[in-house]
Order: sequence, then C-alpha cells, then structure tokens
Amino acid sequence: MMAHIAWRHVRRAAVNLWRAPLPSLVSVLTIGLALFLGASFAVGVLSARKLLQGWGAEPSITVYLDRAVTGEEAKALADRIVSAEHAQSVRYVDQAQAMQRLKTELGDLGGALDGLPENPLPPSLEVVPAGSPGPAEVRALAGRLGQMSHVVDVDYGREWLDRIEALGRAMRNFGSGALALVLAAALLVVANTIRLAVYARRDEIEIMKLVGATNAYVRTPFLLEGMLQGLAGAILAVLGLEIVQRVVIPRAAAAFSFAAGAAAPHLLAAHFGILLGAGAVVGLLGSYLAVARFLRA
Amino acid sequence: MIQLFHVTKSYADDPPVLADVSLHVEKGEFVWLTGPSGAGKTTLLRLLFCAEAPTSGQILVGGRNVNRLSQGGVPYLRRNIGVVFQDFKLLENRTVAENVGFALEVLGASDTHIRNRSLRRLDQLGLRTKADSLPARLSGGEQQRVAIARALVNEPALLLADEPTGNLDASLTDSILELLFDANARGTTVVVATHDRTLLSRYRRRTVSLDRGKVVSDA
Repeated sequence: MMAHIAWRHVRRAAVNLWRAPLPSLVSVLTIGLALFLGASFAVGVLSARKLLQGWGAEPSITVYLDRAVTGEEAKALADRIVSAEHAQSVRYVDQAQAMQRLKTELGDLGGALDGLPENPLPPSLEVVPAGSPGPAEVRALAGRLGQMSHVVDVDYGREWLDRIEALGRAMRNFGSGALALVLAAALLVVANTIRLAVYARRDEIEIMKLVGATNAYVRTPFLLEGMLQGLAGAILAVLGLEIVQRVVIPRAAAAFSFAAGAAAPHLLAAHFGILLGAGAVVGLLGSYLAVARFLRA
Repeated sequence: MIQLFHVTKSYADDPPVLADVSLHVEKGEFVWLTGPSGAGKTTLLRLLFCAEAPTSGQILVGGRNVNRLSQGGVPYLRRNIGVVFQDFKLLENRTVAENVGFALEVLGASDTHIRNRSLRRLDQLGLRTKADSLPARLSGGEQQRVAIARALVNEPALLLADEPTGNLDASLTDSILELLFDANARGTTVVVATHDRTLLSRYRRRTVSLDRGKVVSDA
C-alpha cells in the first residue's frame, strides 16, 4: 500500500475517533473492563495457587525409627537423608527427648508418664525438605524415606497435603474454565459494542462501497480504530491493575493476616505487553467481525 | 454501454420485481427510466451497479458481464459508474469538498490532486464557496449538487440517478437536470429513474417505461 494511503487511513481513523468520541469511549471502557477482569482473575488464580503451594511446603516429615536403633545408626541415617535427598535439615530426636517433649506438652499431667515401666516413644528424625516442594514431591519423598532401613513409619500430614492438592487441582480446573468463560464473554461484549459503533456508520460503509472502495479499503480504518481502542482499553486495564496491586492488595494483606503471604505475583513489563497485545487483538478482531457483517451487504 | 438480456429478479416466493427485461443503452445516450412506484426502476439500477445480482439473465455494463464479476471485481466496475440518489447519501461528518473527493480517495489519488479536482468540480457546479461546509448547512438542492459532483468527479462512463429530483421543488429540479444533461453532453451515458411524468414531457429523451417488472414501452 502506498505510504500516502496508509497515512490517510491512520489520519481518518484518528479523525473518526475524535469526531465520535462517545461510541469510541464505550468500546474503550468495555475492552478495558474485560481485560481488567480477565487479568485480575488470572492473577487471582495464580496467587491463590502460589499461596497453596506455600502452605503445602511447610510441614516437615517425621520419620519414626525402630526402637532398637542406636544413636549412631540414627545419625548415620540422618546423614544419608541429607546427602541423598538434599534435605534442608534432619534432626534426630531420641527416645528420651521425645518423652521430654511429651511431658512438656502435657504440662501438669506430665508426671503420669513417670509411672510407665519403659519409654514407649520411638526415636525419630524430623526432616525439612529443601526448597518449597509441592504436595506430590513431599509425598514421593515420604515414600522414599519409608523404604529406608530402621524406618517404621513416616508422617507427613498426608490428609492435609491431600486436601491442599485436591484444592489446587479444583482451582486449576475451575480457574481455567472460568477464565475461558470470562474471556469469551468479554470478546462477545466487545464485538457487540464495536458492532453498535459500526452500525451507526453503516451509511459511510455503503457510500465507500458505492464509489468503488474495495473491502480492504473500507475495512482498514475500522481495524485501525478497533486497534487503537483496544490499546487504550488495555492501558486502562493496566492502570486498574497497578492501582489494585499498589493500593488494594497491601491494605487487604494488612487487614487479613491469612493473605499476608498472598501478595499478588508482581506484574512485569512483559505482562503489560501481553495485556496491550491482547487489547489490540481484541479490538482488531471485534472490528473485523463487526465490519464483516456490513461488507457482505 | 448497457445490455440486459432476459433479466429477471425475484425475491423468495414474491412475484418477480423484474421479469424478462431486455434493454440496450448505447454509449452517450440519455435515458429516462419511468413507471409507477414498485415498477422495478430502482431494482434495475441496483442491478447495474452490482448492489444486487439478477436471478436469471445476463447484464453487460461497459462490455463486462456483471454476472461473471468476482466479489473483488465489483469495486473496479463501480469506479466507472457514478450513482445519485434521492436522499443524496452524503457523509454528514465530512465537508462538502471531502464528500466530493471521497470517490477519488478510494482510487488512491494524492491529497493535493483530490482537493484540486474536487474544488474544480464544485466550482463548475457553483458550490466553490461551500467547499468547507458540512452538508447539513446546505439546502436540499445544494446537497444534491454535491452528490452529483461526487458522482462525476472521476468522470465515469455511466451515471445512474434514482429519483434525483424527488425531494426538490421545480426550480431546483431544473438546475439538477441541467447538470445531468451537461454531463451527458460531455459524453457520459446517463440513466435517470423517475416517476415524475412532467419531466418526461418537458425534456424529451428516450424513455423506457416499466410496469410490474416488465418493459411496457421504449420510445
């Protein structure tokens, strides 16, 4: 396309936006809102999953040992776990320490334990896994620890992990489904909003075609306008997300202690780039669909 | 310039709007297309500028068979046809000069060329001083002259006018028709649809009469 025609299209698109600001504004706001909701939803799901992962990583694994095991054997086992499983720490709790802990926990009732003929508590190793493993990794690690010699039982808060895992799965499924739904609804709303704006200019399309404009020529300014509206909407969405990130979330974190660890994943320039791109694509696609209806006539 | 061979146009189960119409218009002719409302005048014009396709029959415009024209070929045919409507069909948010230049814009002409040609055409029609006004500020007669200027600005071989004076009083009607005769005198083939029989008696030209989709007379 010759440069002066391209420039004419850009100029025309800008003038059209300027001359009919209301329909443009409605499209911009619709796209902005749709992107804001979609992005907030995605960020919400991501941060909730991160929070769950954080919770899942906390429990340490308690490895109960055979009561006949000697202190040396237990320490050798601890060293093996550190080297083989790269555990962050392994602490040996012998029978006497275990009894002492129980006594402390029972408080005044602790004296009752003195009457026992022998110490029934097994020695144990308290293993803190390295990094922040997910529930599946904790389960696999516990399984491997259970296979080791002198190990009688392994406790890793199985039920707790199972629940977190199920919750994470449900959130992922629900999150993906709901996000797809939100985006599809947003695209429909955007396409309809743009269609209304294009409908108001159907005479212009008719006259352009009447004087011999090709479909591509008719379509181009509308696509440019759609793209500009999409970009403007995306900028609005970015501003909205920034406000939520900088103002709303810190306040929420202060108000609800459980959310303290749930700081939203920080939005990077790349994320904003994706949003701007999404805005431009939604605007282009919405305009294309809207104009296509009138080009067929 | 125009050849219709047994052209029929019908919609669904309704009686045909045009039934077995055959017609030849030579290059440089001026033809009145007349008949009562619903006779098929507008439909015939719409077939000529490819706003609709015939149900059956063949149509040749400027030697090109419009039935065989691809979707992409229609705009190029239209660039050789100027069309004028009763309701002017001007873009309200563009100035008079921009409206006239619109037909040149789609041809890819430069801004300067468009402006110069539009102004020259407006000058010929006595509208030079209104070039930068919006259409809403013009009278009906002036708006129709702008529409004619737009239709003629790229010197099409064929000019189609559908009731171009339908909204105008007698004195304005005469001035509009003068423009059409003038274009015809400069070589443009002109077909004007009208139901106003007084025009036909005042300006005697070849007259094709339609009634219920059929050509009832051609004289």
